[in-house]
Amino acid sequence: MKLPDLIATGWLEIRSHKMRSFLSVFAIAIGIATFFYTLSILSQRYRDIDRTAEVSGKGRLDTTVERPLSMDQYNQLLRMLPPQASLSFQTDEMFTSATYKGQILTGFFLQGLLPTWQDSAFVYQVEGRFFNWQDIKNKHRVALIVVYPREKEPRHISSVDSGPAGSVQLQDFIKHINLLNQSITISDQSFTVVGILRAPPVEKDFRAPEDQESMQKIFIPYTTWYDIAPRWWDSFSTRVRIVTGSEDKAARATSVLHSFLRQQFGPDFLPGIRLFRHQLDIYRQGAWHNLKAMIFIGLIAMIAGGIGIMNITMVVIFSRTREIGIRRALGASRLDILLQFLTEAMLLGLCGAAGGMVLGYLAVLHMANNTSQLTFSWWVVAASVLLALGTSFLFALYPAYEASKLRPVEALKYE
Amino acid sequence: MVIHCEHLVKIYQTADAFRALNDVSLDIAPGDFAAVMGPSGCGKSTLLNILGLLDEPTSGVYRLNDISTADMSDRVRSRTRRDHIGFIFQSFNLLPKLSVLQNIALPMRYGNLPRKDILPRAYELLQRVGLADKADRTPQELSGGQCQRVACARALANRPELILADEPTGNLDSKAGEDILSLLRDLNRSGITIVMVTHDDKIAHGAKHIIRMKDGEIV
Repeated sequence: MKLPDLIATGWLEIRSHKMRSFLSVFAIAIGIATFFYTLSILSQRYRDIDRTAEVSGKGRLDTTVERPLSMDQYNQLLRMLPPQASLSFQTDEMFTSATYKGQILTGFFLQGLLPTWQDSAFVYQVEGRFFNWQDIKNKHRVALIVVYPREKEPRHISSVDSGPAGSVQLQDFIKHINLLNQSITISDQSFTVVGILRAPPVEKDFRAPEDQESMQKIFIPYTTWYDIAPRWWDSFSTRVRIVTGSEDKAARATSVLHSFLRQQFGPDFLPGIRLFRHQLDIYRQGAWHNLKAMIFIGLIAMIAGGIGIMNITMVVIFSRTREIGIRRALGASRLDILLQFLTEAMLLGLCGAAGGMVLGYLAVLHMANNTSQLTFSWWVVAASVLLALGTSFLFALYPAYEASKLRPVEALKYE
Repeated sequence: MVIHCEHLVKIYQTADAFRALNDVSLDIAPGDFAAVMGPSGCGKSTLLNILGLLDEPTSGVYRLNDISTADMSDRVRSRTRRDHIGFIFQSFNLLPKLSVLQNIALPMRYGNLPRKDILPRAYELLQRVGLADKADRTPQELSGGQCQRVACARALANRPELILADEPTGNLDSKAGEDILSLLRDLNRSGITIVMVTHDDKIAHGAKHIIRMKDGEIV
């Protein structure tokens, strides 16, 4: 029998036993809904992690050195690195306050950066300008302020509540006043705000959590920061970041950085260098780990659905023994009978897949976080359909095989 | 010979090993119309099932169109049933969920006829048995006689050389029975070999010759 005839026969049977078919379809749909939900979320997380990898730059590595590093050391290390590698130093974060036209602004951290900070995980729209190497060389008193968009559910950016009487939080102040090209005073020194860094909305911010600010910040040039840092500050540390441009170069850069730091701070110095690729692997494992339980529940539901299909197929074969005999007498082979019942079960599975995907999609829309960024993915649809078809096929195989084994003469006698 | 049987024996493995056929030898020539008669339990239907490749003999030789059926695989037996044999049953054995036209088309669905040719051929057969206006009806909507005419049309679907009819008039009144007999005779006249099981003398005498059975043997 040809496939269209098998489908037509199967569909006719499904339609003529609506309740029985509905129950089988429902059981499969529950399993598929769980899978669809889980795979959609997982697929989205993986896609976000891929975007994080893109945003962060290829072959990135990070370390924190518990010492201040000078620009001479920067140049020395840069010369040792593979060509095209980007090297960035960041200072510690210093909690301080600023003054604008007599108004004390508080609740932010001051951090020193190099222009190469832009080469990794830079997602901002710059209003004004970013730092340049002249700012670094001449220790210019220039500043950049990060501003977040207004959002329905604002991200949590900590600010320290305590401040002198009459002070306002910088975070609140910049919502109303644009400080671009304005003068602010930090540590008794006048700084010009040369740029506003507008952060993207949360759903378009694909930076790794470690790259996102958890606190309101004002950035100043790396060298300027050391100029104004209080002398009593004795625990300077430097965050070193290298973006090599490719995964292969990262290993070489790691050993270069390692030997540079030992050369600078002695053979016992043990820098903890983190390859960002490992960090991404951890994110991926985390995403998978969080959804493992859901996959397991989906699996149980699919088995239940499969048993439902098996049960129904067995009942159907029992009630259609005579029909099997008639079909065999008219020329159906064992394979025809096997295929007929498998097709019927797989049609039920297909209906279950369709129902399950609708349920799963609704679950994703109403239950998952950050669903505004959820995109449709064909592989999830394909995987759901294949899973439903595979389950129906496997569980219907035994009853269908038993049906195909019926001897025509005995099946015909069956009342 | 269309059918050639030698010493066919069929034993059902029940507690007392029931011998349904006992040394049956039989030849049916092409174009013959044979009626198999005998009391209930004499082995008529068992013989017909073996001739129709629905069952296998315990021992003996059965050659169909000069081909031994002993070593036929299930696939070959199914193909032979489909292409060379048409069945007509006492209880019609039409599928209740299918329309009359689809019932007639069913044997062709298992064959190699292109899909587009199946329904026109089924309709042509329906016209031949005089039920063209019932194509979309289901078997439940037809009388017994009409159902058996549909079964006859279905039996002709793949142009078989042999029709096996098991009590084709058993469930019909005498008028409808005579109609079916007349249809079978027409088919026979067109060259189709027919073997018909019946216990009705009047119907049996419509055949070209009668084979009488008793206790699993031809008498």
